[in-house]
Amino acid sequence: MWKKQKPKNKGISIFPIKIDTLEKILIDKFEGNPDLKFSRYTVSNRNVVVFFIDYQIDMASIQQSLLQPLVEFDKNGKKLTNETLMNSIPVNSPSTSVDIEEILNGLLIGKVYIYIEDEKTAVDYIFAKKESRSLEKAETESIVLGPQISFTESLSKNMNIVRWLIKSPDLVLEEFKIGKVSPKDVRLVYMKSLANDDDVQTMRQRLKELDVDEVEDAIVLKQYIEDSQNNLFPQFDITERPDRFAYNITKGKLGVLVENSPSGFTAPATLFSFLESTEDLYMRWQAGSFLRILRFVAMFISILLTPTYVAALTYQYAIIPTQILISIGQSRVSVPFPPIFEALLLEFLLELLREAGARLPTKVGQTMGIVGGIVIGQAAVEAGLTSNILIIVVAMSALASFTTPSYLFGTTIRLIRFPLIILAAFFGLIGIVFGITFLIIHTLRLKSLGRPYLVPLYPLQIKDFNKVFFRTPFNHSSKRARSYRPKFIKRFSSKDADQIRDIDE
Amino acid sequence: MNINVSIKPGNRIRAFYLFFIIFDIQMGVGVIGVPRFIYMEAGRDSWIAILIAYLYIALVIYVMFVILKKYENTDLFGIHADIFGTWIGKLISTIFIIHFGTSFLSILLTYTEVVQLFAYHELPNFAIAFLIMLLVLYAVFGGIRVVVGLSLLLFISTFWLYFILYDPIMRMDWHNFLPMFQTSIPELLKGAKETSYTLVGFEILMIIYPFIANKNKAKLPAFLGLTLSIFTVLLVTTISIGYFAAEGLKHIDWALLILFKSASLTFLERLDYIVVMVWLMVILPNLVFLLWAISYGVKRVYKVPEKITIWVLAIFYLTIVNFFHYDYQIGKLTDLIARYSFWLIYVYPFILLIFVLIKKRKRRQGSEEA
Repeated sequence: MWKKQKPKNKGISIFPIKIDTLEKILIDKFEGNPDLKFSRYTVSNRNVVVFFIDYQIDMASIQQSLLQPLVEFDKNGKKLTNETLMNSIPVNSPSTSVDIEEILNGLLIGKVYIYIEDEKTAVDYIFAKKESRSLEKAETESIVLGPQISFTESLSKNMNIVRWLIKSPDLVLEEFKIGKVSPKDVRLVYMKSLANDDDVQTMRQRLKELDVDEVEDAIVLKQYIEDSQNNLFPQFDITERPDRFAYNITKGKLGVLVENSPSGFTAPATLFSFLESTEDLYMRWQAGSFLRILRFVAMFISILLTPTYVAALTYQYAIIPTQILISIGQSRVSVPFPPIFEALLLEFLLELLREAGARLPTKVGQTMGIVGGIVIGQAAVEAGLTSNILIIVVAMSALASFTTPSYLFGTTIRLIRFPLIILAAFFGLIGIVFGITFLIIHTLRLKSLGRPYLVPLYPLQIKDFNKVFFRTPFNHSSKRARSYRPKFIKRFSSKDADQIRDIDE
Repeated sequence: MNINVSIKPGNRIRAFYLFFIIFDIQMGVGVIGVPRFIYMEAGRDSWIAILIAYLYIALVIYVMFVILKKYENTDLFGIHADIFGTWIGKLISTIFIIHFGTSFLSILLTYTEVVQLFAYHELPNFAIAFLIMLLVLYAVFGGIRVVVGLSLLLFISTFWLYFILYDPIMRMDWHNFLPMFQTSIPELLKGAKETSYTLVGFEILMIIYPFIANKNKAKLPAFLGLTLSIFTVLLVTTISIGYFAAEGLKHIDWALLILFKSASLTFLERLDYIVVMVWLMVILPNLVFLLWAISYGVKRVYKVPEKITIWVLAIFYLTIVNFFHYDYQIGKLTDLIARYSFWLIYVYPFILLIFVLIKKRKRRQGSEEA
């Protein structure tokens, strides 16, 4: 997969050629494609042919700005050559091509070719028409405050949004072509004056050396170039929100946009960047900090709560205070299964509900939630399949797992729970401690774009804590996070921000 | 063997991690049982004995720094090779490696015993040791950065254990300390010596030293780490003396765990169960550092690849734990380690210092004459 791409060999010119022969060659090459339009004209006593694929181009504008000047060329009485033709057609960026392969690929991306018989090159213009949906609200990462717009499948629209968000000549959108069978435009986005050069170099190299037939989407490309593909943890941060994307870029990270993909990803990511949301910035700092800490707690609850229930009920029931133990005992009296079976059953039911809710149309999905949450839960308790305490436990951990702003990371958290439940059932509390320690070591070993995954916790960067674990008022965050090693750290002068004015000054 | 080692920039660590390294490696299974041993020797004035131990260990660490400063960038093994030559150097280095190996075994066994005693009477040694070894191997294979990071993260995730001690502190009887200053000095010194098994481990400083990036800042974090672990031992011993009746403490094996037992919250009871399990996180850095030191040492001295050493040792330990079934066997091992580690860790650095100073002086004279 990581083989170096061979440089493309330049084709041999097929021109000059008779128009009939050209048509024959093209039709041979495009076997079974009736959409190649081939129209002949005679202008200034020379045979001219215009050819294109009709659904790939904008017909209205080609009529008006290409065919019309061509047909009316006789009026100005000049001799028709490539040069005079290019002069009289009011469309920008014409180019010429000689290679048949190049022409075929050009036709596919919406180029219109004009060939004047016996000339040495064919002239082409881009009239590409690309269908895309209009900009819509972000659905998977919706937030309450702040911009609601999300990326769409059109790369040019996405780049347009990013450019408007970061109006700086420093912003670089490096172009890459990825995929041999069906190449896709990929853009590496970063701030020239900020992004760490090593990171840019690493990313560039990974993109360049990727040797695959095609990439389906940005999320797929992300998996191809991540540090470790076998890993459960995502190592690059994927987002459909342009503001989140731009926020990461302006903090010195790199972003990647892919053609036909409504999401971009940013790197390097850390474990904690998946728990950050741009909404934390739009909130007051107290609320922002609260939400961030809430999400951390939610992550731990989601991972630990059900396993602890299983471990405590299977082995160490002495850790539960007597009062609660009595009510748990009462609610479990009619349950004939061991806690592990009970817990797995309910967790599985909840995953089913979630998956069904995600697949169904929105209106039915809501009904699903009600049916699942109330009816099945109540019925399961009454049928003696589970205890109602466990329903609370499982519901709480499921809710907690949905608080993560990144859907990808939320899935990771939900998956981690299952091995922990099984460990808890086999070994009790020590199984959970084992699992947690294993996860700690695992995340310690992880890298994202060659950078540690747990920064700023390890390597310890205490000064970055206010950008990651909580939020301070903006006059206290005058510096960028050191963890991503941007080229310069200062955002604004902290002296000016902290200036204290006297009364009535 | 090269006396000085060059470490890749990616493998260097900042000096302040020494705080966590020194603290984590001193805290382990020892501190659970240490109050009893100190109390048996030094009685009510145990706290003085611990402070004496503090001063002495601080001196030892200072001596280690003096020795290390004499060289450009080396570790214990390099110094041995330089001072004693190839063969005797190898021999002494091997003694140290064996010391690490036996410490590893005793920690593994003691923790296994505690887990069996408190929670799982039926779980075989092998199962517990296997779980622990999995974690140790996974961490050590990550290299020095993961090893150090683990000690930092586990320090953070176990720090809350201190707060549970609020309950026994409230129940302490301060009269247990009176009358003060009745213990004779030899008894105090014996009491200080009893801390040797618990507080041993800081010799890792002489192994990890070449990996430190900013060496001129290394002293303070090392001493602070020592201070925190001495504080912990002091805290645990003081609470034990105040909490248990004077004669009772002499018969309590795992004083610290019993202390944790007395706390209870409205939503959690029997915290000692949780503490015993979470103690895995406390001993894990010990094991990881020791195994790392062994594999690194074997590579330095005998040029065996680290991975081979680690796999061989893992199999060895998983086999040998099955032969220890009784408390007295583990007790004997611990006593043995306590006895020789006193000479090896607390006395030997001074001897080494003398050798190093003589050698360096000779060398300087030699270069001046030339």
